[in-house]
Amino acid sequence: MFKNFFHQGKKEQAVIDKTSAHIELLIAACKGFHEGLIQEDKNRVLQVFHLEREADTIRREIIAAIYEGAFLPYLRPNLCRFAELVDRVFDEIEDAANHYSEMEIPDVLKEDCVRVAFYNIRICEMLLICFHALIEGNELREKTLAVRIYEKKIDDLKFEMKRILWKIPVDNFWAGRILAEFIDGLTAISDVVEDASDYLHIINVSMK
Amino acid sequence: MWKITSGIFLGWSLGANDSANIFGTGVATGTVKYRTAIWLTAVFVLVGALAEGPKCMDTINELSRINPVSAFCCTLAAVITITALTFLAIPASVSQAIVGTIVGAGLLAGRVDFTLLYKVVACWLFTPVMGIVLGYLVYRVSASILNHTVKSITRRNLIYFTGILFAGSYGAYSLGANNVANVTGVYVNAGLLLPLEASAIGGISIGLGVLTYSKKVMMTVGKGIVPLDPFSAFVVVLAEAMTLHIFTQLGVPVSSSQAVVGAVVGVGLVGGLRTISGKMLLNITVGWIMTPVAAGLFAVGLLVASRFLF
Repeated sequence: MFKNFFHQGKKEQAVIDKTSAHIELLIAACKGFHEGLIQEDKNRVLQVFHLEREADTIRREIIAAIYEGAFLPYLRPNLCRFAELVDRVFDEIEDAANHYSEMEIPDVLKEDCVRVAFYNIRICEMLLICFHALIEGNELREKTLAVRIYEKKIDDLKFEMKRILWKIPVDNFWAGRILAEFIDGLTAISDVVEDASDYLHIINVSMK
Repeated sequence: MWKITSGIFLGWSLGANDSANIFGTGVATGTVKYRTAIWLTAVFVLVGALAEGPKCMDTINELSRINPVSAFCCTLAAVITITALTFLAIPASVSQAIVGTIVGAGLLAGRVDFTLLYKVVACWLFTPVMGIVLGYLVYRVSASILNHTVKSITRRNLIYFTGILFAGSYGAYSLGANNVANVTGVYVNAGLLLPLEASAIGGISIGLGVLTYSKKVMMTVGKGIVPLDPFSAFVVVLAEAMTLHIFTQLGVPVSSSQAVVGAVVGVGLVGGLRTISGKMLLNITVGWIMTPVAAGLFAVGLLVASRFLF
């Protein structure tokens, strides 16, 4: 009847630890992807697949722990949605890695792709900072603003890359499509991270 | 002793209906398990009834002197009125129904203390007002304290959970203390029961209503109330409990539903929210007038009929 009194928030702490691990794994995936792009090492980029599987397991554990009684029911849907959004970022990285394994980045786009991959690391690190700020009850406004600024930078790069992309001659339909989807996937990561940071803001507001 | 059966039925009905005002939001949102909620409510209603129940019985006793048959007719009329108004979806208060029946019976016998009646009616008017004021103040003060002292989300989570349990238990205590007089107070007036016996029987009958038939109303009311966040839910129940407790000290039984509506409006005022509609206000006003008038007329009808039977 009074389990929550005696647990003193142990269930909640388990969810927090797992969510932190989930985001740290995301940062590791982004770093691996970035290094792979710089070194033009497809095997390094493809390691994202292993990390995605590991992240899937963590997501299941987070959702199970939440529905086993961690946190008030009022918060649970938003916490689950946050875990699902982090998982969607993994899906985007995985898709981008898959496309990368099937193509070569044209020289005119290489530098921009590496920059986007670098900003992806930064935006994910910022997401982790936002999450810790939420848990410790610190101000989130400036941190979520930083996420939005990174997202804007990536968006600007995306439009620039697309303008270049349309002028690149391609051998066939599939080569063009895979390249376009790679760019879309690489630049979509920041959109999902921004959505995830919005959920952190919602959780923060709803607990005050 | 058969004359107290209508009072037991009234208590059962009050328990089944009014427990929703205490743990309704907690249960409907899944914060508190239904079993935990009903046991806490039943236990604290009984404790409240035994500890402070007799305070409001004095008011019921002094309003008008009635005999045992009249006491039976009054509680029966109150039950029928409450059931009929609930069926018509008009918010009805047991306190207003029972006072209406006593005044009806008193008018028939030519013995009503109108000075005391004015005090009771004034308290009814002040119930939602006090709910609004306390809802507003408790929200402001507790939010300020929490925002400055507890920042961690894990601790807040634990505080909200504990707060809802504490406020609910206090709400149940206040409900028992304030409303037990409605259920069995007339039997003390009629000389059928001693105040402590009346408190025990009333508390047990309210508790039985909570334990056996409160789930449906609890879920309906809990989901029907403005969707509240855990902190606001805690404040609303605490403000309602405080309102009932204050009126218990004044010795006047009041409506827990009206106290809750007031507290919701008070919490809504903090954020500048519109938490009550004109239609809802009209419904409450109709209930306010209809309940004591209808119950009083019903009691008069039953008493006239009983003269032919007994």
